[in-house]
Amino acid sequence: MPVAPPVLFAAPRTRWGITRLSAYAFSSLAIGAVILMVTLFVIQSWPLWKHAGWGFLTEPRWFFRRQAFGSLAMIYGTFVVSLVALAVALPLGVGSAVFASEYLPPRGRLAVKVIIELLAGIPSVVYGLLGILFLRNWVYGALKPFDPASGDTLLTAGLLLGVMVLPTIMTLSDDALHGVPQAQRAAARGLGLTRTETVFAVSLPQARPGIIAATLLGLGRALGETIAVFLVVGRQDNQFPANVFSLRPWIESGQTLTSKLGSSEINLAYGAPLHWAAMIALGLLLLAIVGACSVIADLLRHRRSA
Amino acid sequence: MKLPLRLFAALALALAGHASAQELLKINGSTTVNLAAAEAAEQLRAEKGMKIQIDSQGGSSGGVSSCGDGLAQIGMLSKPLTDEDRAKYPKVNFVVTQVGADAVAMIVSKDVWDGGVRSLSRKQMQDIYEGRAKNWKDVGGHDQRIVFFNKEPGRGTWETFASWAYGNPKKAPEANFPEVGANEEARNKVATTRGAMSQLSASWADGKTVFALALRDDDGKIWESTPENIVSGKYGMARPLNLITNGEPTGAAKEFIAYMLGERGAVIMKKNGYMTPKELGLPGAK
Repeated sequence: MPVAPPVLFAAPRTRWGITRLSAYAFSSLAIGAVILMVTLFVIQSWPLWKHAGWGFLTEPRWFFRRQAFGSLAMIYGTFVVSLVALAVALPLGVGSAVFASEYLPPRGRLAVKVIIELLAGIPSVVYGLLGILFLRNWVYGALKPFDPASGDTLLTAGLLLGVMVLPTIMTLSDDALHGVPQAQRAAARGLGLTRTETVFAVSLPQARPGIIAATLLGLGRALGETIAVFLVVGRQDNQFPANVFSLRPWIESGQTLTSKLGSSEINLAYGAPLHWAAMIALGLLLLAIVGACSVIADLLRHRRSA
Repeated sequence: MKLPLRLFAALALALAGHASAQELLKINGSTTVNLAAAEAAEQLRAEKGMKIQIDSQGGSSGGVSSCGDGLAQIGMLSKPLTDEDRAKYPKVNFVVTQVGADAVAMIVSKDVWDGGVRSLSRKQMQDIYEGRAKNWKDVGGHDQRIVFFNKEPGRGTWETFASWAYGNPKKAPEANFPEVGANEEARNKVATTRGAMSQLSASWADGKTVFALALRDDDGKIWESTPENIVSGKYGMARPLNLITNGEPTGAAKEFIAYMLGERGAVIMKKNGYMTPKELGLPGAK
């Protein structure tokens, strides 16, 4: 008669083992926190939606003493600043990722990666101060032929942000490139493609979803960054151009969603229900935009690994 | 609506209470007052071992809100406490102690100063603020666009400016300028921009990188921000430096305020270019 082996560690008999239970508990805690936060934002911004409706998103005029709350100029500012940041960070980030992952030996790749990731460890207020000390004066001087009013421009903020999101884009693109199987490169080389041709024909197309995800995560950081932008963007309200394709407003002061939220106006708003609701609505708007970027990026990353 | 912040405030205070047996004195508000108060705090820490945390988040309106919410025992204000401020915190009994006075000046960059602009009248200021004067030559200077950095509303400096230019901050018209916050930022940006002007505490105008303009009254007389002109009220943009508490100050807060009103406090005030409590004849001054 066969004897059952002695049981040393019993497998969890119930469906609700301790691991599973705590995983559920913590996940629902996290989800609950998000739901609670969004609910709180919606409730607190409610007076604004009743007062302004969709006008909050389509009106460029913001003047709290007249109870005019339109965020379009800030949405425009946020968009321009992020666009400039991506224009700087995308070629640099993807370029250095290709260099590190396709051309450098493993040790060299790590060295480059570590150095660029160090950029991510610098607190944003330091970037902001460097921006005030050097970048805004440099932009002011370089743009002299176009006669900007000062060095505080949307362009300045965008350039500064570009440096700040570079590590995110570089390191995630590098991971994506590194995930492309070596056998595919070998096959391409075997067919007679040069190294550069291999990069363009095999590695980059294969890594594309990962690189797009990296870009979106970088964009998320650019959209949400406050203090560095705050210090060099000029914080001028109501700068919505008559022609949205004109580049002139790029070298003028502007306002982003974050620079508005970071300003001293929040203290004035506090205790004035409608003004407060408008500030919270700006926060909700920012949350929605950044949240959408992150979710799309996550979907892309997971689709790739699936 | 204010409940969540109140909860955070209570939580923060509870944690602070547990962190040390000795009372931690928290002070927040105006960057102008902070300059002097931080120095006093440093001396009190070194000499009496007091635990003081001092910060300048959000300027004067930050001082009102952090004191009103109980996040700080003392709020620093470089402006009078208005009825509007009190109305936001009906349950708080704000007690105001003036510890000095300061002048706000219109400061300009070197090229404007060298271009010959040395004073402005209220009318000229209104022209600039409302966009009728866009070039320095419109107000007696050289041919250069006026780049006006407006101090953020909510800052004591801005309210003092608006009270002078329009009689009341609420009457200030809608304006569209780049904004500056802390005093360091205003000074730096004016110093490095051609044709620049901003409102700034007069004591920050160093006469090398940024220059303080005098104010011209309706009779054409020119008044500089000297102590005599501040006390006599001839200089239009003077303002009190206040410390506010919820109820009469007690414990560490009381000690701190007494220090600011005392002789050592006066030395610090003087050093920062402010009027001392004694010069102003304030109650409790030594």
